[in-house]
Amino acid sequence: MTTTDIPVAPAREGHGKPPKKRGGRRREGAAWVFLSPWVLGASVLTLLPMAVSLYLSFTDYDMFNAPRWVGLRNYVQMFTEDPRYWRSVGSTLTYVVIAVPLQLAVALAVALALKFMRRGKAFYRSAFYAPSLLGASMSIALVWRAIFNDGGTVDNLLGTGGWVNRPGWAMLAVALLTVWQFGAPMVIFLAGLQQIPGELYEAAAVDGAGRWRQFLSITLPMLSPVVFFNLVLQTIQAFQVFTPAFAVSGGKGGPADSTLFYTLYLYDRGFVASHMGYASAMAWVLLLVIGAVTAVMFRTSRSWVFYADEEGR
Amino acid sequence: MPGNRTKRSCTLLVTLALSALLTACGGSDDTSGGGGKVTLRYTWWGNPDRAARTDQAVALFKKKHPGIDVQTSFAGYDAYKQKLATQAAGGDAPDVMQLDYRMIDQYASGGVLLDLGKRSAELSTAEIDKGLLATGRLGGTQFAIPMARGTEAVVYDAKQWKATGVALPRASWTWDEWADSVREVARASGKPGSIDPGQSEDCFEVWLRGQGKSLYTKDGGLGFTADDLTRWWTFTDGLRREGAVSPAEQTTQIDGSVENTPLGRGKAVSDFNWDAPASGFQDLVGEGLTLAPMPVWRDGTPGQYFKPSMFIGAGATTSHPGEAAQLIDFMINDKDAAKILGATRGIPVNESIRTDVVPGLEGFDTTVAAYQSSVEGTLNAPPQAPPSGDSALQNTFTRDYDQVSFGRMSPREAAENYVTEAKAELR
Repeated sequence: MTTTDIPVAPAREGHGKPPKKRGGRRREGAAWVFLSPWVLGASVLTLLPMAVSLYLSFTDYDMFNAPRWVGLRNYVQMFTEDPRYWRSVGSTLTYVVIAVPLQLAVALAVALALKFMRRGKAFYRSAFYAPSLLGASMSIALVWRAIFNDGGTVDNLLGTGGWVNRPGWAMLAVALLTVWQFGAPMVIFLAGLQQIPGELYEAAAVDGAGRWRQFLSITLPMLSPVVFFNLVLQTIQAFQVFTPAFAVSGGKGGPADSTLFYTLYLYDRGFVASHMGYASAMAWVLLLVIGAVTAVMFRTSRSWVFYADEEGR
Repeated sequence: MPGNRTKRSCTLLVTLALSALLTACGGSDDTSGGGGKVTLRYTWWGNPDRAARTDQAVALFKKKHPGIDVQTSFAGYDAYKQKLATQAAGGDAPDVMQLDYRMIDQYASGGVLLDLGKRSAELSTAEIDKGLLATGRLGGTQFAIPMARGTEAVVYDAKQWKATGVALPRASWTWDEWADSVREVARASGKPGSIDPGQSEDCFEVWLRGQGKSLYTKDGGLGFTADDLTRWWTFTDGLRREGAVSPAEQTTQIDGSVENTPLGRGKAVSDFNWDAPASGFQDLVGEGLTLAPMPVWRDGTPGQYFKPSMFIGAGATTSHPGEAAQLIDFMINDKDAAKILGATRGIPVNESIRTDVVPGLEGFDTTVAAYQSSVEGTLNAPPQAPPSGDSALQNTFTRDYDQVSFGRMSPREAAENYVTEAKAELR
């Protein structure tokens, strides 16, 4: 980690003299002092709870009585005896598959539009970014619920009834809330677009390539590392979606379990039904699945992500 | 309690580490030494009406006990239930808390509640009906004091109901007569005559008790079969299909608050609720709000019962048990407090206060009192306190019925689903 790099660094620059041991140690000590808040925070707020949760995942724990060791029973029950568990897996996957590509497509489209915009760029950039800043908050999700509830704005305009009260539509309402929060990936796309050298487009234009051709042959390949970054980030986030579904469905993943996302079911098992052991086991499975999905994305990325400095290798 | 040590060390480790970090920000509130003010946290669930009256009563308590400060907080039932469970698990239960019948077993056996029998110096229970008082006892220890009693009711808007020309709800009407009435009301008024009772475990219990059965057996197992539940859900699902009760999109929004039920939203003419909290409908429905007895079984057996409507208890870990007991005593025995509180938590169980308070009641409270005396003596004894798994099963019940009302499962499939889950939960 970075701590070990610090005393080594001068040696690498090769000023001739090897670094004095004492000075190095003192600097190492200073590093630890400055790191201590982080180390303390990480171990107390992250590592310790994780260790406790791993332990609890092998127990039956109702928060009132002592945890009882049950070995792998929680995991076995999850995979073989719990239809709601699989329902929650199904809704989460559906959501990831709908919301992530849609959100990235919208983010890229808006970033492109902003790139070519001459006036008011700064205004639109912040205007589009604002929902992402507000997005994590409960209040926006509640407003969303009001808009899509029966008697709400959407109902009044389209006469389609309340989306959040219908099993087939509630998922769409939650996905739209995510898509609407395209600001963060958009800003990253915009930064990526600005990195693409203008000469490439000029050269392509001279060769007679149209806008669409330019987009496919220049923009997308040059942008692929950014697309990859956004894809990984948003997918990980989507797997953990909680707040919008919690607020939109009134905390129950309803109607009829249609928005019962993984984390919502986890919350339900842990804090509503008081099965903390089971909830912990679910959390660990989620961690492993997200790890696996991310690993797969990194593997496949080699075939489609193009880094400019790889040229000629 | 040998097992408690492991659990404690688990949660304590985390909370201690956390508080070590946080102590710098919040000064210690350990003021038991004297001089400083004692601060009690008092939490409860309810509606804004109850909030206003509770705050008034608490203000009076603070005036009478200048050395004690009380911080109150409240939430809707669902949210309250979750928050309290989390607090209790973290060893941070409030000093004084409102409890439901369904929570007593779990909380008392988990060591969360203070033994109030030992606080007789500050807290008198002499005026409380012995039978009701016993419902707050577990293994001979008085863990909680009932505050009031309540019973279920059909809550309806009499103005709208009368306008349809259908005969008004009456005492000892059967479930079939109820169904015919709401059907006719729906036909005449163009909106559902009732909310769909299929989602309510409480309504199911009344229907079940009418047939001499019960939700739970004496040893905490399931007291009914998938066949019973199938019949109930077939009955309610049929009414929903006819449009006699609220449609699935409305029913699914019911979450324990009056604002979100079809009656509160103006989308149905009647509702089912416990009598006292029905007062919350007043602002939404208006003057026509009235109570009628729950339907009975064909042979006239009532399923409805008087239940201790809620309890008040103290946290086992409170550093001010004496003051906590004083606050509890004030809430159940003080005459001035009783005047302020009225029947917002149900008709008081303290006998002298009840005789004192009832004639002075105003507004909807008089309706509640009249309703209770109208069914007095006609009801059967309450069931024993439900086992701890019941808290989660209440939600399961509602959720499984969602599958029925949205047409995703047949009543039979959903009922079997429920029974399977219930058996696992009640292990």
